[in-house]
Amino acid sequence: MGRKRSVVLSVFLTLTVLFALLVVPARAADPIVLGCPLSTAFLYGWAAERGFILAVEEINAAGGVQVGAAKRPFKTEVIDTRDLEPGVPVSEALLALEKLILDKKADFIVGGPVRSEAALAAMPLLSKHKKVSILTTGSLTPNYHAMIAEQYDKFKYCFRIHGEAKNLVGEIFANFAQLKEKHGFNNLFIMAQDVSHARGAAELVKKLATDKGWNVTGLEVYPTGGTDFSLGLLKAKDTKTEIINIWMDMPESAILLKQWYDMKVPALPFGSTLAAAEQPGFWKATDGKGEFTLCNVVNAGNAPSNATDWTMKFFDAYTKRWKVEPEGLGSSSSYMAVYVLKDAIERAQSLDSDKVVAELEKTDLMGVYGRLRFDPKSHQVIPAADPKEGAVGSILQWQAGKRVVVYPKSIAMGEIQLPPWMKK
Amino acid sequence: MDILIYGTINSVTLALYALGFALVYGVSRLPNFAHGAIYVLSGFIAWSAVNTFGLNYPVSIVLTMVVTALIGSAIYLLFLIRVRGMAISEIIASYAIALAILEGLRWGGFKGMTYTLPPFVSGSTSIAGVSVDYQRLLVVAVGAALVGFLWVFTHHTRIGLALRGMAQDERAALMLGIDSDVMAVVAMALGSMLASLAALLLLPLGNIVVESGYNVLILAIAVCIVGGIGSWVGAVLAAFLIGFAQILTVVYLGAHYQMVVALLAIILTLILKPSGLFGQQKELEERV
Repeated sequence: MGRKRSVVLSVFLTLTVLFALLVVPARAADPIVLGCPLSTAFLYGWAAERGFILAVEEINAAGGVQVGAAKRPFKTEVIDTRDLEPGVPVSEALLALEKLILDKKADFIVGGPVRSEAALAAMPLLSKHKKVSILTTGSLTPNYHAMIAEQYDKFKYCFRIHGEAKNLVGEIFANFAQLKEKHGFNNLFIMAQDVSHARGAAELVKKLATDKGWNVTGLEVYPTGGTDFSLGLLKAKDTKTEIINIWMDMPESAILLKQWYDMKVPALPFGSTLAAAEQPGFWKATDGKGEFTLCNVVNAGNAPSNATDWTMKFFDAYTKRWKVEPEGLGSSSSYMAVYVLKDAIERAQSLDSDKVVAELEKTDLMGVYGRLRFDPKSHQVIPAADPKEGAVGSILQWQAGKRVVVYPKSIAMGEIQLPPWMKK
Repeated sequence: MDILIYGTINSVTLALYALGFALVYGVSRLPNFAHGAIYVLSGFIAWSAVNTFGLNYPVSIVLTMVVTALIGSAIYLLFLIRVRGMAISEIIASYAIALAILEGLRWGGFKGMTYTLPPFVSGSTSIAGVSVDYQRLLVVAVGAALVGFLWVFTHHTRIGLALRGMAQDERAALMLGIDSDVMAVVAMALGSMLASLAALLLLPLGNIVVESGYNVLILAIAVCIVGGIGSWVGAVLAAFLIGFAQILTVVYLGAHYQMVVALLAIILTLILKPSGLFGQQKELEERV
């Protein structure tokens, strides 16, 4: 009986050890959860979501992320913050973010909140939970990285991997200077949407343009959801405006561009954030009336170019996976954020927030839109006009139904063209 | 001159948004909060007819208006008839239907900025030195014709007279053999068709987006409150009042304040004359 009991005990112990051996690798393969707060009904939301999924699929297919001794896959948890929708309060985005952290047990936050106001409001929440966050889409306000620089200890968990409004303004002025030199343009009209980054950037453009000797013929701020731009366009026409600088991410900006075409306003529509014109479907949607529209897609890779060896690989992979070209802001930056995070986690050999922050600050990776490094004080990705030096932007113009990158020169695929009714 | 031209266009646009809402409420005292959603839905129906089913545009337009009218009737027969007469329930039910339609469209993949309808006429002209595109001129022409049609319809047709009878006194109309529910169905069908017509005229100017459903509803309600809920004449006049006020605001204060005008008009009306310009809800006046 005693012997029988010891046999049973041995079998039990063996099974226990076997079970433990089986369970340990299973635990090690627990996914790293990427919480993605995104306004998914809008371009900057779904473009980011697709970028994340593509990167996660590629990384997982290659074995996952090396965290110490274990290989762990990424897993995305997307939540709709609706923060780009008119009338939706910022608190909704914060609730969504908190749900990702508390309910979905997100290890990292990538993506949004997308609207600048919501992204700024989310910063204390991220600090409270010590969650590393990489902003990858939408929010362009310079206040974001300014706040990190001012209160580093509090906001050190926040990073932004795409361009911001001040940098966009610099890119725009480089183009304005070129247009001034080539065509003698001097009159500028600014149209902006009534949201934080657009208002701020429009005021900045106005001040800088005046300082640089431009004649600013007007600045109109339109409410989100505004549907009539005729009087602004008439004003632009009457004041002999040559460039209309547009800061709008609302869908109604398509109305503005159609009106511009129908009224044959002799001024070049130069969008900064102009979500309607970023999408490949814009040409068909405007029945070709979008021709000559310029817009800033913020980072290379969101439109075809040869910025780095990785640019067109990403572009083609995205197109193959989603049956549509990368559509605009948020596509390439979200894709790269996952790779940058993987790189930092592997160097940190841990998911510990402070360790990952330290490694993110040391990031130096040649990505889809150039060399990716974060400013160690403000955690803003370092911009450059040359992809070998930093993250490059992309300004495109619609020419004969195609999105042609015209800036920066280092990656340009064509030159800015004027509509026939502007040619003297 | 630009204020006059674009003020008129803006006013007719607001009238088109509001006429369907005013018609339904005027006849059946039913505040159809699904009006904006029906507007957007008909845009997507037309888009699908052209792009998914490959129908030609004129056929798609007729089909869209008929289908939208049927949807409006179905909404009444399936849902709103059950809460008829209970004002709060009517608002909640119709708003829930609006949410279901709009969120359903989004869930079904109708998101983004690339859904558009072609304009009836392309190009632009100059009126007294002011550039205007033909589609906007068409909006004004159709808007004016519509008001005329509605007047003839409600004064010289049996159904129109029955609708007016219902609007004036439902009990008296019932005693004369006018079926209240049938008239409510007709009103919902007509109101939805008017929302559809507005969508088909106005959406080619921009794109079809789900979010615009809420905007259309707010503007329609603003026009109806200022004009007097239920009064079609009041709605048209209020549309011109708000339309021109918006354009003057854009010119003299800035485009930024444009959206405030409609909301301010609601507040001022409720303070100064709660029944609106041509409203018949005297009890509101008496209560104040």
